[in-house]
Amino acid sequence: MCASCGFPAAPGHWTEAGAATAHDRLRERFRRVQLLQTMVSPLGIKVHDGGLVPGIQVTGPGGGSSIVPDLEQVWIEVERLSGKPFDPLA
Amino acid sequence: MTDEGRIRLTIIGGFLGSGKTTWLRHQLFSGNFGNAQIIVNEAAGTPVDDALLETGRDVITLAGGCVCCNGINPFLSCLLEICDRRSATPDPDERTSQIVLETSGLAEPFNIIAAIKAHPVLCRQIVVSEVIVIVDALNAPALLGEHALSRSQIEAADRLVLTRTDAVTLGDMSRLHKTLLGLAPTALISAASFGSPVPMPEVIAGAERLTLSSLPNAGVADIKPVQLDLGDAPDWTALTLWLSALLHARGDKIVRAKGVVQTPAGRLLVQSVRRLVQSPEILPAQDTRVVTDNVIVLIGSDLTEDNIAASFAKLTG
Repeated sequence: MCASCGFPAAPGHWTEAGAATAHDRLRERFRRVQLLQTMVSPLGIKVHDGGLVPGIQVTGPGGGSSIVPDLEQVWIEVERLSGKPFDPLA
Repeated sequence: MTDEGRIRLTIIGGFLGSGKTTWLRHQLFSGNFGNAQIIVNEAAGTPVDDALLETGRDVITLAGGCVCCNGINPFLSCLLEICDRRSATPDPDERTSQIVLETSGLAEPFNIIAAIKAHPVLCRQIVVSEVIVIVDALNAPALLGEHALSRSQIEAADRLVLTRTDAVTLGDMSRLHKTLLGLAPTALISAASFGSPVPMPEVIAGAERLTLSSLPNAGVADIKPVQLDLGDAPDWTALTLWLSALLHARGDKIVRAKGVVQTPAGRLLVQSVRRLVQSPEILPAQDTRVVTDNVIVLIGSDLTEDNIAASFAKLTG
């Protein structure tokens, strides 16, 4: 359990399986959020992952932000903030 | 991520009367599944299957409710009990390492996997290793036409075992085989008679698929597999990010995603059933590149290879 946000440390999100070491995992985490930013930039949304606490911070165009535990929740939050469905194939 | 000391759960599914108990009984008799804990679920109040198993071993019977829906809570508490007992066993060799669940004929395997994934304790203790679905070759064509459930059971399967293959003509067999491949292109298909494996009948190559009428909640007619080639050095981070967005947006239309991806952590087997991605499993390394590596197969409707390739390329640039 993270003392700042209250999210329990998950047993490892499936997206983390590609990293062999803790260093790789952290590097991947930074890269993931970088790539994620390119996907949601057109919607005016910012994402941030400081690497210290679990979770990804999602900030909407209006400045309201929240911390979500994993990618599945990121998409839900992105849809809520942008007010429309997010479809990578569209 | 491998099983990481978690208990492996094998789910045996299949429609009512497809031969699940017969198959399981033979597997236990021939010593497959080792000393796995067996759980038998029956939707009816009076259990019969556990008596049929006659193995003399400790079989847990959950009757009077299907574990995928109204009987899910007794099932979860039963799993918790097994986990508790396991942690209390001092000798690692005596700990339960595998659970085999025989579902009722009305169970949707997907719901069971989802319930375990969503449970805060069980998701750390149990990993679903395989979904085996038993298909009655004689009755399957009719069932597939009438029941959306029998289709979704097959879609969730990692392995399909055909029973009563000797009772159908070669033509019917070939058409069924083709239909099953359409529903579950990545599943291994084998045949069994009274539980013991029999050679799969030679199917006729050009057989036509059975025409399955569209049912409410099942748009099976246009479900087809498409492939995404990831190249020699796949970008794991980009792939998983993209796949998670895709499954979020199209999870109701993509019934299955499956593929082996080479990463720094090893060859990872990635698979999903609808929106749910299972913990990737590390597969043994191969000396030479396996042709099916670094290809993700997506099975669903409204997908084209160009469309998904273009969408993924946008991210990897």
